[in-house]
Amino acid sequence: MSSNQDLIGIIQAKLSSGETASSCHEASLMQGWVRASRILALVEHENEWALFIFISSRMPPEVFTDLAIERVIPVDSDFKCEIDAGEQSGDVYVNISSRKLKLLFEMIPGIKTNNFVSEIMRSMEALMKLRGPPPEFQWLHKYSGSTSNRNSADCDPAPVDAADVDVTKGAKTVAEKMLDIDSPDIVVPRQSIAQGATPIAARESVIRYQMSMKEDDYTFTETLRVFIGTWNVNGLPPNASLSPWLASDMEPPDLYAVGFQELDLSKEAFLFNDTPREEEWRKAVIAGLHPAAKYRQVALVRLVGMMLILLVQEKHEKHVRNVAWETVGTGIMGKMGNKGGVGIRVEIHNTSICFVNSHLAAHVEEFERRNQDYHDICSRLSFSKFVPTKCIKDHDQVYWLGDLNYRITEMEPRIVRDLISHNSLSALLECDQLNRQRQHKNVFDGYREGPITFKPTYKYDPGTDDWDSSEKNRAPAWCDRILWRGDGMEQKEYRSHPILRTSDHKPVSALFESQIRVIDVVKYRKVHEEVMKKLDKLENEFLPQVTVDNTEIIFDIVRFLEPQSQELIIANTGQVPVDFEFIKKLDDSKYCKEWLNIDPAASSIKPGEKCDVKLELFVDKKSASKLNSGEDKLYDILVLHLDGGKDIFITVTGNYERSCFGSSLEALVHISVPVREIPIGKLVELENVREAPGGMEPYPIPKEIWFLVDHLYRHGLKKQNLFLLTGLHSELIAIRNWLDNGSSEPLPGSLYSIAEALLLLLESTAEPIVPFNLHSVCLGAATNYLQCKQIIMQLPEFRRNVFLYLCFFLQELLSHANENGLDAKTLATVFGAIFLRDPPRVSARGRVNPAVMDRKKASFVYHFLVNDLSDYVMSKSLHLSGTS
Amino acid sequence: MAKKTYDLLFKLLLIGDSGVGKTSILFRFSDDAFTSTFISTIGIDFKIKTVELRGKKIKLQIWDTAGQERFHTITTSYYRGAMGIMLVYDVTDERSFENIVKWLRNIDEHANEDVEKMILGNKCDIDSKRAVNKDRGEAIAREYGVPFLETSAKANTNIDKAFNDLATAILDKFAGKEPGDAPDRVMVDTRRGDTSRRGCC
Ligand SMILES: Nc1nc2c(ncn2[C@@H]2O[C@H](COP(=O)(O)OP(=O)(O)O)[C@@H](O)[C@H]2O)c(=O)[nH]1
Ligand SMILES: [Mg+2]
Repeated sequence: MSSNQDLIGIIQAKLSSGETASSCHEASLMQGWVRASRILALVEHENEWALFIFISSRMPPEVFTDLAIERVIPVDSDFKCEIDAGEQSGDVYVNISSRKLKLLFEMIPGIKTNNFVSEIMRSMEALMKLRGPPPEFQWLHKYSGSTSNRNSADCDPAPVDAADVDVTKGAKTVAEKMLDIDSPDIVVPRQSIAQGATPIAARESVIRYQMSMKEDDYTFTETLRVFIGTWNVNGLPPNASLSPWLASDMEPPDLYAVGFQELDLSKEAFLFNDTPREEEWRKAVIAGLHPAAKYRQVALVRLVGMMLILLVQEKHEKHVRNVAWETVGTGIMGKMGNKGGVGIRVEIHNTSICFVNSHLAAHVEEFERRNQDYHDICSRLSFSKFVPTKCIKDHDQVYWLGDLNYRITEMEPRIVRDLISHNSLSALLECDQLNRQRQHKNVFDGYREGPITFKPTYKYDPGTDDWDSSEKNRAPAWCDRILWRGDGMEQKEYRSHPILRTSDHKPVSALFESQIRVIDVVKYRKVHEEVMKKLDKLENEFLPQVTVDNTEIIFDIVRFLEPQSQELIIANTGQVPVDFEFIKKLDDSKYCKEWLNIDPAASSIKPGEKCDVKLELFVDKKSASKLNSGEDKLYDILVLHLDGGKDIFITVTGNYERSCFGSSLEALVHISVPVREIPIGKLVELENVREAPGGMEPYPIPKEIWFLVDHLYRHGLKKQNLFLLTGLHSELIAIRNWLDNGSSEPLPGSLYSIAEALLLLLESTAEPIVPFNLHSVCLGAATNYLQCKQIIMQLPEFRRNVFLYLCFFLQELLSHANENGLDAKTLATVFGAIFLRDPPRVSARGRVNPAVMDRKKASFVYHFLVNDLSDYVMSKSLHLSGTS
Repeated sequence: MAKKTYDLLFKLLLIGDSGVGKTSILFRFSDDAFTSTFISTIGIDFKIKTVELRGKKIKLQIWDTAGQERFHTITTSYYRGAMGIMLVYDVTDERSFENIVKWLRNIDEHANEDVEKMILGNKCDIDSKRAVNKDRGEAIAREYGVPFLETSAKANTNIDKAFNDLATAILDKFAGKEPGDAPDRVMVDTRRGDTSRRGCC
């Protein structure tokens, strides 16, 4: 909340004295198709309210100079605020409109939005309750300039000069000047999109907004002849045909709205709102309608003596929608139904129309009560079946009829009658209270009334055309009136019908030719389709887009333990920030093969920017054996996934040069030449065909192991920390080359490197010396030398040979313990891990404590380092001193 | 009252040999354009397009796949979840037509069982190099009980129809299954954004 207070403070600094920002809120303005940040503030000045829209150079603004006023919208009778809350989507859309200006704001749902919107509503209510002339908003004059020189990068097109807007009405009010009408054209502020997260607004609100902006493109107007009638029947039943009133025109009207007052003056009617007169008059109306057309009753509403019937020609019935009616009593205690109003609202085609029949307070001097009744009806007559509820003013066209009860004042009844008899109506009309009150804008502001050319319709002796002859001797008056408000409405007739003498009032009628907006279905479809197309196009355009400089990464020759890398450049060529990620495909456990490393494997790229991704290919002890056996290849398809967008396939290939590292013991013992001299096919065959191929007596142990061990035996027995210190990478490569290619040179590299090469050779095989299937048996037997011995004796020949050969060698090393500082436990631990390498996955299983496993492996090997091995049947060539 | 941004979302997939015109078909449908340069699709891309069918606003999310042999295994993993699949061959390329059977088998193995299918013989604007007659396309479609159209992304022949037909088939099945579930029709009346309970037109 305090941050809101800060914001109010900043806004307040932007305002002039006497103006108070009462409430403010951050919102997104829908500009065409995308959102732009705005700050809204409700500003009050001497009971007049206006909505200020600010653009801020930063969000949130820190000082008042960050703010620029984009627009000021006075909260006047044209101001509308509608909420359109998404059920699931959670977006709240607030439609602010005033005359032709329509703005759509998106707000974050929550208490702040609720508070702000209810503040707006409150300011609108305050306007309704305002008595006297409507507010003039003089204080907004000084802001009118700021609406046209907005200078933000992402603002919409140059506003239409306010001065051009409507010259027909003469001098414009401040309010009109404030509203520069936006072109509904679609403008996409690409810059702001590039910075923003998700710019495309929820679709439906935008479509609706766009469609309403383009209404003229898919609607045409149709003229409707509207007959409005009003008659105060003085509690009497019908006693003559109504056709002189209702069917007085040549052509049949399209629509009838017929209102009565004082339908029934009985107590029952007043107290119980029940009267037989309703049906009697309804029938009389129907019987009196124009005979040249067929009519259907759309609605009938009655409150005590006020009744309103709406009928349309049959042919229009199907275009009439959203019918609703409502009543408001303003009589005794401000709510009884002897006075007040009844209303019916409908939509015909695409135009909303409201009809109000009212009977305002009586008595000559009570014109202020009548004004009051009018305002009460305006504020209380709302059609609540709509959300938000619709009031009278929320309609495109309003017809207001009734016994408004305004009289002619400041004139003797005798003079009035005299003037009437001389047909000098104009002098009388000047003294008409309604005319005067309207001139002062105290009542019916915004409404129009046609010129009155008929005699006052009140008060006659019933059954005659004679003025009231009772003692009261009332002055004649134009009590019965018809006013209207809205565009495209033209009054053709305004008259009374003195021939109907049932009542002390004469009926009045008016005939209008009103323009109704009709949706051209074909055009609507087309516009709608265009709008959707545009939205689809934008949505497609704003999908994440990247280009990669290469989708086929080729590594040339790849060798064991020699990393190589290549760069992949991912460029964001789209309009929105991209989050990319390499994803797993199919059933793979990782997004790339184990010999590949991708850095970064996921990241974000801003539009126009690039990201270098390093692909490092590295064949090590884990992956070498699979490549040797052909189980795996240097071939992978990477799936580069863009969040919310497409996937790009990147193929990685390489040419692997096979090595003795990664070869199985079984294969190596069958190779008498360096590995590189064997054709690949043969190598793969050796790896996969287990029985001894003919042609060569296999070695008891692989010659590569022998070379390494023999070298250490000759030169390294006294070396300290052998197998404990690591060698040099470059020397390992040299040793690999020496072993794989063969050489007449001595074995290169330090003793440490050679020791490490030996370990690496043993670790790179597909299976360790003790095969995986014996792994757990060995661990179980670890404490029992005899059992361990038995297991070893049962090993396949070459494995047993290698195992024992290495143990002999390790015992040799230990016999020089005082020089090399090695001990059996340490070596047992090092070689335990190698002889009894964990099967894949076992190590990942969290249940088994790895430290316990390591200890068991060590104790398994330990037996063979401390016990005499001479009783093992050994082939001659296994002796360490044997010759090559 | 909230309005749905669309009534339904259909995920469609385009498959077929490389070069038959899948990307061009999608480009024609979404952007109403055509280019004769061939850039092989290396991956999976999609575009969206909203269509109105049976008074419902349907958002089509159309996935274009790489047709190259080496990507076949990967692309099959995108079949799942597709509600409709277009199998495209090139009327000037016999092989691409023969492979339709292979693609159909692929669908059987990897796509949802009730996926709607459609076979398109594309590039029907080219007469001179035609290798596959329309009859043969129709015959194979009949054999497998799949609707068939000859299309041209270049001449814009049957492109809209192909997608509309496929989407309609999905819609009809969808509507048949869950009659009560179909979301409300979005109102045509946009004037006040009000809560009209009835539509017009
Ligand atoms: N004449 C003609 N050429 C087409 C048509 N559709 C696609 N092509 C061309 O065929 C080539 C391959 O099209 P493409 O859409 O990239 O095929 P994809 O690999 O299936 O996506 C491109 O050169 C296109 O211009 C068509 O309807 N008629
Ligand atoms: Mg393609």
